[in-house]
Amino acid sequence: MNTPEHIRNTAYTECQQLLNEVNGLMAVVISSGDGFDLASAVSKALDPARIAAMASSIAAIGAVVSQEVQLGKSKSVTVNTEDGFVYITHVELAGTSYILNVVAGQSAILAQVIYQCSEISKRLRSI
Amino acid sequence: MNEYKLVFTGTTGAGKTTAINAISETATIVTDVANTDPTLAKASTTVGLDFGQINLANGDRVRLFGTPGQSRFDFMWKILVKDAFGLIILIDNSRPAPLEDLEVYLNGFSHELQTTPCVIGVGRTEAYPNPSLDDFSIKLENQNLTLPVIPVDVRRAEDVTMLIDILMAQAEADLINA
Repeated sequence: MNTPEHIRNTAYTECQQLLNEVNGLMAVVISSGDGFDLASAVSKALDPARIAAMASSIAAIGAVVSQEVQLGKSKSVTVNTEDGFVYITHVELAGTSYILNVVAGQSAILAQVIYQCSEISKRLRSI
Repeated sequence: MNEYKLVFTGTTGAGKTTAINAISETATIVTDVANTDPTLAKASTTVGLDFGQINLANGDRVRLFGTPGQSRFDFMWKILVKDAFGLIILIDNSRPAPLEDLEVYLNGFSHELQTTPCVIGVGRTEAYPNPSLDDFSIKLENQNLTLPVIPVDVRRAEDVTMLIDILMAQAEADLINA
């Protein structure tokens, strides 16, 4: 994946900032549609490469589900778990589509994560 | 009516999506996205699953699932192979090390291969005759496996159907020998 360094740095800054600012986050990963991690910030022993691959599969399955039931373009997928949630959404960076993945524990608030991700999306789109 | 689940796996570019497209009687579900891996000469790659269906003459239905090829998606392998009736491993003989490629899937599905019928389909053998089909069989023997190894062109529906027929025959033989 040949991504210019300044774009990679911007993506990394956004991941790190989100991890620091929102309580309870365990990992923030920005990955390509085919599952390669572009940038990440993690607060516990999670493998960004693994998260990137899984997010790619989930996002792609979300896309075919929305297509199959004719509900328009898939915007995000949330996996709610006993101890937290995983939020996966699309972002655009320098004209290319990427996937933003957030892994969160119990103390994190989904609405806050969704809001922050939409803000990141706006900032990245303007690059 | 019986329902069977068959899983196509194997190397990227070996034609898993193409094989399912070649024979599915329903519109296939495809989760291909743009490929960004410069080591792969292809525009798109499967990251989730492929899905298609065929109906057999006796009314039975076969559900066809394709896995992503790259081992970074091995979590999908485990999900998709669950309760599979059979496994088809497709290998692209034009790649640099097809025998090593095969080993990736023999290891990735080692647990299932103990009980699930499996066929190896090798593509592009006419232009790339080496390794030979015998070399694949020897490789399997070294892993204590005896599986059919068949040259295929998965763009041809009859070749894909042949793989499934062989798989079914193998399953029957396993039942008789059980």
